[in-house]
Amino acid sequence: MKIDHTQPLEYSTDQNQLNILGFWIFLGAEIMLFATLFTSYFIFEGRTGSGPTPAEIFEITPVLIETFVLLTSSFTIGLGVHAMRLGRKNAMLTFFGVTLLLGLVFLGVEIYEFMHYYHVGATYQTSGFTAGLLTLLGTHGAHVTLGLFWGLFIILQVKKRGLTPENANKSFIFSLYWHFLDVVWIFIFSFVYLKGMM
Amino acid sequence: MKELFPAKQVMGFVFSLILTVVALLVYFTDMSFAVGMTVLLITAFIQAFLQLVVFMHAGESKDGSAIYTNVFYGVVIALVTIFGSLLILIWDM
Repeated sequence: MKIDHTQPLEYSTDQNQLNILGFWIFLGAEIMLFATLFTSYFIFEGRTGSGPTPAEIFEITPVLIETFVLLTSSFTIGLGVHAMRLGRKNAMLTFFGVTLLLGLVFLGVEIYEFMHYYHVGATYQTSGFTAGLLTLLGTHGAHVTLGLFWGLFIILQVKKRGLTPENANKSFIFSLYWHFLDVVWIFIFSFVYLKGMM
Repeated sequence: MKELFPAKQVMGFVFSLILTVVALLVYFTDMSFAVGMTVLLITAFIQAFLQLVVFMHAGESKDGSAIYTNVFYGVVIALVTIFGSLLILIWDM
């Protein structure tokens, strides 16, 4: 394995560079996945039948918490990657840890939100609108849940084996995934919640 | 401690907070639907672009152009899917 020391650790081998490019291609497919879910949501948004409308069930407070928490977690994982490039392992692990804690808060609030929907009678089978909404939010939430476990394993690996080119590469790719989830949330926040409450 | 908080990323974070607050004006003030949607489209896409460049370092390696092409292609297909479907099924054109 040839290591290029002029590059940050996560790019330092050919394999590492290909892994990063490959993950971007995966993210391209993820853009399409969420595009189809947004499409079905927009089409079903007005089909509320006898169920509630968007404005009736959306609450601004949990949405605000979710948005700012996820935005901050995207910032902290960015700082984590920066610390990794400085070779500051402990600082990096702290930032990754903070990121996962914020992710956990996000998930907690989202679970509260889903319970709220259940209590006001907006379940999966209520109407086209609720089915589209819960599929979109649920898919995003499932991604965050997966990310929490993924991030946890990354932290454990870096802790155990240190900052090797391989681990740095995995950490960087995880950071791409996490930022991507924040990007998707920006669109959910804008075009599901704010549009629905406008 | 200071070296752990690079100016570029801190500025990126502050800017994305500002964009979020601007987007929230749509909720907290009285805007027409068209104006509100315009504001949301602008703030959302700037913020997504910000994430891509500042936090995801999309352009920094020699694969930068391949990465941007891939993302751009994904976004174009996404927009065609979303607006094409809306055009036929909702706006009835």
